[in-house]
Amino acid sequence: MAKTYDYLFKLLLIGDSGVGKTSILFRFSEDAFNISFISTIGIDFKIRTIDLDGKKVKLQIWDTAGQERFRTITTAYYRGSMGIMLVYDVTNEKSFENIKNWIRNIEENASADVEKMILGNKCDLDSKRQVSKERGEQLAVEYQIKFVETSAKDSLNVEYAFYTLARDIKAKMEKKQEASNPPGARGGTHQLKSNDQQRKPPSWLSRCSIL
Amino acid sequence: MSCSSTEDLPDQYKELFTQDGVLLKACIGRPISDLNSIGMLCVVQNSDGTKCIEWRPNDLITIDSDTQDQEWAVVNTIGRRQRTLSGNMTSDYAAARARIVRIPLAELKTFKVTRNNQQMQFSTKSGVWQNTFYFQHGNAEIFVAYLKNHVKTAKTRHDRNTYVVVESNIDSQALNKSFTELDIFTENTTDVVWSLVSNFKQRPYETTMEAFSKLTDIVWSVLVYYGNEGLNGKRDVSEEVADLLTKSMSALEDTTSITKSDEYEVITVKPTLPPRPCIPRGTPLSTEKWEGLQDTEGRILEVEGVKQLIFRGGVAHSIRPAVWKYLLDYYPWRSTHSEIRKIQKRKTEEYFSMKLQWRSITERQESRFSEYRERKSLVEKDVNRTDRSHPFFAGDNNPNVLLLQDILMTYVMYNFDLGYVQGMSDVLAPLLLLLGNEVDSFWCFAGFMEKIASNFDMDQAGMKQQLLNLQQLLTFAVPDLAKHLASKDSGNMYFCFRWLLVWFKREFSFSDIMRLWEVLWTGLPCANFHLLICVAILDAEKDVLISKDYGFNEILKHVNDLSMCLDIDKILSTAEGIYHQLMSAPHLTDQIRIILGIPTAANNPNDRNEESESEDLGDEEPGRENARNQANGYTRI
Repeated sequence: MAKTYDYLFKLLLIGDSGVGKTSILFRFSEDAFNISFISTIGIDFKIRTIDLDGKKVKLQIWDTAGQERFRTITTAYYRGSMGIMLVYDVTNEKSFENIKNWIRNIEENASADVEKMILGNKCDLDSKRQVSKERGEQLAVEYQIKFVETSAKDSLNVEYAFYTLARDIKAKMEKKQEASNPPGARGGTHQLKSNDQQRKPPSWLSRCSIL
Repeated sequence: MSCSSTEDLPDQYKELFTQDGVLLKACIGRPISDLNSIGMLCVVQNSDGTKCIEWRPNDLITIDSDTQDQEWAVVNTIGRRQRTLSGNMTSDYAAARARIVRIPLAELKTFKVTRNNQQMQFSTKSGVWQNTFYFQHGNAEIFVAYLKNHVKTAKTRHDRNTYVVVESNIDSQALNKSFTELDIFTENTTDVVWSLVSNFKQRPYETTMEAFSKLTDIVWSVLVYYGNEGLNGKRDVSEEVADLLTKSMSALEDTTSITKSDEYEVITVKPTLPPRPCIPRGTPLSTEKWEGLQDTEGRILEVEGVKQLIFRGGVAHSIRPAVWKYLLDYYPWRSTHSEIRKIQKRKTEEYFSMKLQWRSITERQESRFSEYRERKSLVEKDVNRTDRSHPFFAGDNNPNVLLLQDILMTYVMYNFDLGYVQGMSDVLAPLLLLLGNEVDSFWCFAGFMEKIASNFDMDQAGMKQQLLNLQQLLTFAVPDLAKHLASKDSGNMYFCFRWLLVWFKREFSFSDIMRLWEVLWTGLPCANFHLLICVAILDAEKDVLISKDYGFNEILKHVNDLSMCLDIDKILSTAEGIYHQLMSAPHLTDQIRIILGIPTAANNPNDRNEESESEDLGDEEPGRENARNQANGYTRI
């Protein structure tokens, strides 16, 4: 089968239950929004191939159940992730506070170089807002992570968020590649340029107990 | 007491078998006075080696042994029973001798056993029964069995009790007996032999063990025997049987591998499952039948029978609200109408008292009660996204959505330790849709949760255990698929998580999920039948998953995309078929027995061998256990 892309990036959406992870994904993959979404049980993923600086980048985006109880199961699907979207709900203070817990969760387990981004979703619901944009930005600065407020419903900044994360991963990857391949010896294939899932989990995942 | 000496016998012959207490009932050409006298029926061998059946009247015989009894004896134990003729060669003796009846085996054409096995008739020419004997002690079975060592017989088609002698004077060696005449089965019908032999093809291991336990080393002799000669050149049942048997033995060879070394030979049998029976679904439990099952006061006495009916065909939709209350332990099966009214009253009060507990929490209280607040927030989020596309829950400010919330919040008070876990709203929705009533829905939900509470454990131990058990069942029932999944890093079965967490709620329409749940609530036919539902679904997808070489991601995607594309009746039927396959598998391990809640081999000393293969594996990691499962064949030295 002919390969229809140059890069395959595996991305992950995490955050509290009901912050809108599935809605963000649905907006990005189908450019649609459904007010009566169902909660995610277990895990699922969607695919969208984007054009990034002349390269076809296939994004495989994993959507997880938010409730903490299911984390031991859902983390099994984290392996090989290159980028993580941390999502909170601007109308839910608690979900914002929990971003710190989610970051700690990643830090405890993830390799240091996984690309991260914080999304403050539901910014269309201004009347119900509990978390100001400034607090979001402040948190991002604190963790040195990119941040953007989004609205899956109004299709605000969703495209931007995924393109930004993908571009950062691509840049980091190409930088690494250059480092390992001295100038002049370029053009070799790299492990991410393949259809196969990565067999070798990063170190942070090897510590995840599976059953 | 007369003297005794076998040398006194006028003719040199040997008694091979004797049966005492046999009455001569009829004998062509004999005077009536000869009839109805008691004697001994024997098989004797003449000095020239020919054999005959002989009957001798008792008054011709004196027996000096004090161990004399009126029962039969076989030739190798007869030594101490010296049977002689009377010492005095009198005219009485000559007269008595004249009454002896002899039937040369070479001339015997047919014999017949009638009257409850107590009467035997012999014929040396067709159409005439020359001799009739009546067995006063016991019956003719042993005599017939012995006789069949010396003549090869076949049963006639029209009369099961009549034997035709097809070959006389054969050696009394077991291997020369026809397979059908070995009498290894209590039923003497060809069908039994047929089914046994056709089983050789399908379940070679089990059938061979069964047969060998009865035949020991005879089977191969029979094969050799039939391999060399057919019966009258005509292909009959026995020959077909032999053919099948030969094929079966080669089938057996296919499933075994032999490792030779200098000192020993290891034969490993790769066990296969018996064929899967196709079990059609039944019709749903009808209103008439349901009403008929209740006594005048409303008690349901035949609980197991009702459950069987529901397991077979489910419940008619119109009586589901009534029947589900029993299945979900809201109403006890044996309660009367008046007891049910009391239960309803009590449970209604209890429900509203629990509801009041959370309803009376003020906003200010709530602000200092984070655990409660978190649960409430989760419930609100989930009821607003539970089956909202179904008309019953659709639209803004739908009162049924509010009912979902109230019931789930009350359940938080009912079981605060468990609280609310995602998935519970999915479990509740069909119950509320069917029952309509808040209190009934709550108690039925609580009953359902009793059955699946471990799905929602904080540490997810219950889910992990089920996923592990599913992997074990799949490894046993569909080993090639289990192997494929393991090779794609999917051996943990996490892609079945959604199926198990909410009992397939997301995979079926409302009407189908109602059918599936009511069947599963019966707890029949074994524990963890819902895992066999998973195996049935996966088995149907096996070809796609393997032939397209689906990997980790595609497996999850494919399984998730099966939602709303599944045929509930077909799946139930397949799952039941798999259950029967497992139950009749000769190599069923204790591991599988424990999952299905059936007695382990520990209770059955014959299965000790298997037990040691599959003993509790403790906390071994799944990978290692897989390896052990795959190696779990029989090893015999």
